Parts: sequence; structure tokens; C-alpha cells
Amino acid sequence: MCSFFCPFMSHGSVVGVLEAVILRSFGPEGGQVLFTRDTGQAMLSRSGTHILRALHLEHPLARMVVECVWKHSTVTGDGSKTFILLLASLLRKIHTTASREPHVSHSYNSLEAAEAATARHLADKLLAFALKELDDLIAMEVAPHGRCVSWEDFTAEMHSPANHYVQKLLASFFHMRLGYVHCAFISELTCELLNHWKCIDNLPYFALQFLKDNFPAIHTPVSGFPITSSRLIEGQVIHRDFATPYPQTDHQPIKAVVFTGYLQPRLLNTGDVLEVGCGGTEERSIVDFSAWTERSLQCLIANLQSLGVSVLLSVVKQSAAVLALATQAEMCFVDCVSEDELSLFAQLSGATPISDCWRIEPEHIAELTFCRPILLGPHRYENMPFFSLTCKATHLHAKNYLGTIHTSHLQTLVADVFIIRVKVKPYSLIICGSGEGQTDQYACAFQDAIRMLFTTWEPIPATGTTAAKRTVQSDKRTSSYTHVLTDSSTCTSSNLNPLHKCVLQPGCIMPAGGTFEFLLHHALLKLSHSCSASNDTNIGVPVSRLLASALLSVPKQIYSHSPGQFLQTRTRHNAIFTQDMGLESVSCKYELLLAVLQCVTSLLRVDTILRTHTALHTQSLADTSWESTEDEAEN
Amino acid sequence: MALNGGDEDFEWEPPSEAEMKVIQARRERQDKISKLMGDYLLKGYKMLGDCCDVCGTILLQDRQQKKYCVSCQELDSDIDKDNPALNAQAALSQVRERQLAAQSPAPSQTPELNGGPSNGQPSVSVPQPRPEHCEGAAAGGRALLPPPAVPPPPAAPSTTALAPTRPAVCPQNPALRPVLQEAEEAVLTKLRWATTQLQGAASLEASIQLCSLITSCANSLRSLKELSQ
Repeated sequence: MCSFFCPFMSHGSVVGVLEAVILRSFGPEGGQVLFTRDTGQAMLSRSGTHILRALHLEHPLARMVVECVWKHSTVTGDGSKTFILLLASLLRKIHTTASREPHVSHSYNSLEAAEAATARHLADKLLAFALKELDDLIAMEVAPHGRCVSWEDFTAEMHSPANHYVQKLLASFFHMRLGYVHCAFISELTCELLNHWKCIDNLPYFALQFLKDNFPAIHTPVSGFPITSSRLIEGQVIHRDFATPYPQTDHQPIKAVVFTGYLQPRLLNTGDVLEVGCGGTEERSIVDFSAWTERSLQCLIANLQSLGVSVLLSVVKQSAAVLALATQAEMCFVDCVSEDELSLFAQLSGATPISDCWRIEPEHIAELTFCRPILLGPHRYENMPFFSLTCKATHLHAKNYLGTIHTSHLQTLVADVFIIRVKVKPYSLIICGSGEGQTDQYACAFQDAIRMLFTTWEPIPATGTTAAKRTVQSDKRTSSYTHVLTDSSTCTSSNLNPLHKCVLQPGCIMPAGGTFEFLLHHALLKLSHSCSASNDTNIGVPVSRLLASALLSVPKQIYSHSPGQFLQTRTRHNAIFTQDMGLESVSCKYELLLAVLQCVTSLLRVDTILRTHTALHTQSLADTSWESTEDEAEN
Repeated sequence: MALNGGDEDFEWEPPSEAEMKVIQARRERQDKISKLMGDYLLKGYKMLGDCCDVCGTILLQDRQQKKYCVSCQELDSDIDKDNPALNAQAALSQVRERQLAAQSPAPSQTPELNGGPSNGQPSVSVPQPRPEHCEGAAAGGRALLPPPAVPPPPAAPSTTALAPTRPAVCPQNPALRPVLQEAEEAVLTKLRWATTQLQGAASLEASIQLCSLITSCANSLRSLKELSQ
């Protein structure tokens, strides 16, 4: 048995329900949602993703929307509530337009089918328009009202204007996410962190990308302390305690190796067959075998001692014999280290983890400045910074990141990277919070802030027609690209090669509070007036006008408490930086728009939802597994 | 809006004002439903993938696994508000309708029947229940078809035949016989119609009205028989 219902109406109603959920938390005046669990844990949050993922949703469309929001927020870190608002507004506008002028060139069974087809057509046109023309429109009409902050300027001095803008951007982000009280402190801490990690590479967003990818290993959450106890400490923190008593060593540098496998072969795995005593005249027993493995271990430890290694890190839990021998040899041993931390360690130190413990090469040995235990809250961790990075290590970094860059930039970047010799002192972030939930929330906010910064400074790859122009004029474009990166003034099209279209500059920020939406609204209206209806004769309504009216829903909500201010801001949209609503990133907004339009397209492509009823006992099993996955998702 | 089979061009006309009001009311109702559902979701209810059979709204499920439809159980129904048996407002408006209808057409229809002989007969404007009115009001939303057929014009004089409790006493029997026969037939038709309606009547109000109609039909028949004798 399957049930069928007209999905067109239910798109709007499902998204309307989600909109009603997040509406009260939206905007600077928005409230927080209190989550409670049956275990008694309570937590306050204003993060849209967090709220939506905590809802119990079995409706497939609702789950799809929440999935889209979550994926978007893992990329840009921000804008999940705005996503839902824009999505709801767009669906309403598309529905209104489709019901007003259904597509009559084909024959349909019913009015609903005609409306649904029109809506799908509209959504596809919107997406095509956005992918082709929106970035140029934003670059020409909206971005000039903002300011381009160059990443190089950011760390020149602590009190440079670039620093000020970045800090203000972070402060407004944290204000919206965590509240007014601590946003200044947290944004300063983040700036400090960025400053310390900035010199990891020449190109600006590498540092941000590195931080973004390795954030779980770089931060340590500690609950039970106020947020103002959060600070940076030198070195990397390994979130495990020493397995052997820590000997105090004074000589430097401390040498460390990383093992990925077991040092002593394990005897008693299930399914293993151990053949003892084969091929010899004497009878051998398992005791002889274990004695042999211990002797080989002693050789290994002696080898390590001769190389001067005093710290051993291991991914797996080693046997007691290994630990005993390491203690005897006065070596520190840390086992069960997580993969992310070991990969960070490997990247920072340049040492490759050893898989075959009988072949230890110099490239496997890392050099550390110090290695000491650190007590953070109730847990004792190990803290180890690094001495220096070699040129070879930098090359390794470049190899990791080049894959993610647009291929046309490849030639330029490889040349730059080879020559660099960089010294980096890694710093770890200790995030404190009063409870586990709060600490987790702060850690998520930090991570999202870094994602947001990364999206802001990431160069937007060429789309559509501009890509064709770029392959033809690659030399000119390369030079203009590097020119653009070092250009710290407000961006104007005259700085760029006039032969190719204006592209959205990285680092463009503008005042928050609906300014972006107003400017884009006006730009879209201007575009719809100027262009003839030649492309849209079928529909009759230019899609740009539809998008323009949908965009206004965001500032309407922001100013829902004061409609007078809405009108004022609408007319005075060219007053830059005079209002104190904070700053926001243009790239994030652009990504948000694209993501919303893609979500609309995929939603409207759903024609029917078939629900099949399975047998009763499997249904109950499915229900229980649903509950458990949802509980896990809430974690 | 008429929808053709698809062979011809679809003629779209802009919605009339009444339709606009309906669309507006539906939109407001939808917003209210969304808001209520959002509140329930935040309270921990689960949004199911099913729709309510009655109204088509998405169902919610609470912690005790009980299904809940926001629009059916909380909001007033769209269509029930027109049913006089369920809603006092609708009943009052129906009474007003009846009064209006009884006052205005009564003076115009009495000359039709009473013609010459009883031109001085005052038309007693007793507000008799008019079946087509109450049935129409009660079934307005629920029935997909238009309300039960308004009795055809030939039957109109028969209803006004019920209005006067005292039929005109005519001294000339032979001239009156065909008229009386016609009147009898009309009353019988009405009686038959009322009986069939009574068998199918769903609401209390309608049944009461139909019974009183049948009573008056019977009274009229008796009077007519007395007249003809």
C-alpha cells in the first residue's frame, strides 16, 4: 500500500513549518532554544543547524532540507537560519508565480500538474541565472559598497585597519552565535590564534584551510571553567596521558617517533593460527616464541635508544611488555593517539609514521622542543611543541593542498612554494565552558568562525563564460590574480584586466543587517528592467525579479521589530559602516544563495513520495534504529 | 476556472474578489498551521511523513506515540463553521436568512396563487421553514456538489400554498376544481420530496424542519380536501 499526495503544496508547508521553528531565534533580537534531554542535560543554543538537527523529523522532505542546511553549514559555517528563510520565501514566490501563469504549452492532467511543471521550470531558470550571472552582478553592484580586506594586511600589526575589520567581522559572528557578553573576548582569542598560525604558508587561505581541516586536533575542550579562562598554549596538545612514567629530560632537542602498528606481534587474535616448531628437530613451544618476541623488542628499544629517541607515540594500544621495556629505557610512551592528532603531528614535524618498526630512517624522527604533561581540567594531556619546519615539510604541505585549488592556478603556486623555508610555532586552543554542552557549543562556534573566514578569503573559481576567457588568456589572468591578492584598496573593476569580467574579490566584507540583500535586490530589479523579455517569453516574469522580491524577506525579518528602521535602511543602503549591526562576508552570502537555489531545484524535482508499509516487526526495528540514530545525531 | 481537456488553449481568468478572499483566508490558515506545528516540533513532537486523511495537513506524533493533526484538533474547521447544527453563528445567520426570505417574496407570490377569488386574503407571513434554504446552508461546505436542487419554479407556488394557513374559501366549486387539483398535486409532490429528503437528512435542524414541512403539507391537503367537498 502506498500513499500519494500532491507534493507541491507540501513543499511550502514543510518549509513553512521549519521557518516557524527558526524564526524566533533569527536576527540580533532572536532568542535561544533550550534543549533538554531525558537525562536532565540542558543546553541553550541559537545555532540554526543545531536547532534543526535536534528536531524529530520523519517527513522525507523535511529531512532533505535539514540535510542541505547542514551540508551548507559545514562549508560556510554560517547562515543556516537565513537559508531556511530564503528557501521558504522563494518557494512561496515560485508558487505564486506558477499559479498565476501556469505553463500552458504542454497538456497536463490537472491544474496542479501544470503548476508543478511551471515551478520546476522556474527553479531551473533561477539556478541557471544564478550560476551564470550572479557573481558578476554581485561583484559589480554589491561588492563596491563593501570593503576588500587583504589577508596579508591582517597580521602586519595588531592595530592595523585590516585587523580591526577582521575582528569586527568575528565579533558580529560570535555575537549572533553566542551572545553579546563574551563576543569581544572570543573574537580577540580567534585573532590571536590566526596570527600565530598565519605564517604557515605564503598564500593566504592555506593557513585558514589548515586550521579548518585540523581544528579537532588543534583545540581542546575543557569543561568546568568559565569561558574567559580559554587561552592559547604553545605546542600541540595530544589528548592522551603518558602510558609510562614521565622522565624529566633536560637535553634538547627531544626526538620522537610515531608507530602505526604493533611493536610486539600479537599472539592471541581470534582466527590466527600460530605454527610453532615447524621445520626443526627440537620441540618448540609457545613460551619459546614469546621469549623470542621479547628479545626482538629489546633489540628494537636498544635501536631507538641509540638513535636518541625518547618519545614514542602509537596509534594502537601496545602490550605490557613494550611498556615495561620503554619504562626501563626511560622513554615516554603515549598510546591510543587519535588519527587526526597524529596526522597533525606528522604534518607539523615532517616525520613520517613508521609502519615497519625494523626500518627506522632519519625521516621518521621528529624533533621537539619540549614534551611535558599538562593538566587541563580533570584530564592530563601531553603537550609538545615543535622546533622548526624544514623546506621538505613545506613541500609536503603544498602537496596536500594543491589538490583543492582550481587547476588553472596550479602552475603559479607550485613555483612559489618550493623556495620557502618557514618556521612555525604551533599553538593550541584551550576552550573552556561551564558545562559539556556549553563547551561543545563554543568549540562549534570557533570551528564555524574559521570556516566562515576560509569561505571569505577563498578565491571563487571561474564559472560559465568567464572560465572560457580564462583559459585563453591564462598569462594575463595569472598576473591579474596575484595583483588582486596583494591589492588592499577597495576593489574596483579598473584594477583588473578589462578584457575579462569582474570577479568577486576574496576578502570582501560589508555591513550586516540586510545591506547585502537590499543592494542585490536593487541590482536585480535594475537588471530585469534593462534586459528585454526575450529569454523569458514563456514565463513572462523575469526570474531576476522573483529573486529580488524573495531576497527582501531576510531584512524584513531582521527589522520585524521595527518596521520604520526597515524602510530607513532600504532607502539609505549606500551608507557604509555607519550602522552598528556588525560586518558580514559577501562570499558567504553568495554561497548561501547558490545553496538555497540548488535546494529549491532539488525540492521541486520531487514529484511523488511513495511510502511503503513493511511487515510489523521490521517496522518496529526500523523505528528503534531511527530513534538511536536521531539520538546520535543530537549528540 | 474551467479546465479543458488540454486540446484547446487554457483560458485563465484572474480570480474574482470572492476567490481572492478565499485564497487569502487559506493562506492565513496555512500560516497559522505552520506556526502551531513549529511550536509543537520545538516541544519535542515528531513530524511524520503522513498526511491527515481529513484535511491533508502533515501529522505530528507525541512522545506517547499518539498521532495529532493540528488543523483538525486545534484550529476551527474551514467548513464546519457554515454548519448551523454545529455552530451557533451559522444558526443565527440562517434564522436571519429565513426571516428575510419569508418577508420579501411572500407579498409577491400570494397574488400568483390566490388570483381573483381571494385577493383580499391577507398573506400570513408565518416564517415557515424553507427546506431549500436550510439544506443549502447546512451542506454548503461538506457537499462537493451544489446544494440540493432548488425546487423548480412550478413548485414555488406550492410553497406559498403552505404560507396561508387558511386557504381561500371559494364559493364557486366547479371553477375551482382544476385549481384545487393542481394545488393538491403540487402539495403531494412537495410531500413526496420532503419524505425523501427526510430519509436522507443528516442534521437535527433539517429533520425538524422537514417534519414541520410534512405537517404543513398534510394540513394543506386536509384543507384542500375540505375545500373540494
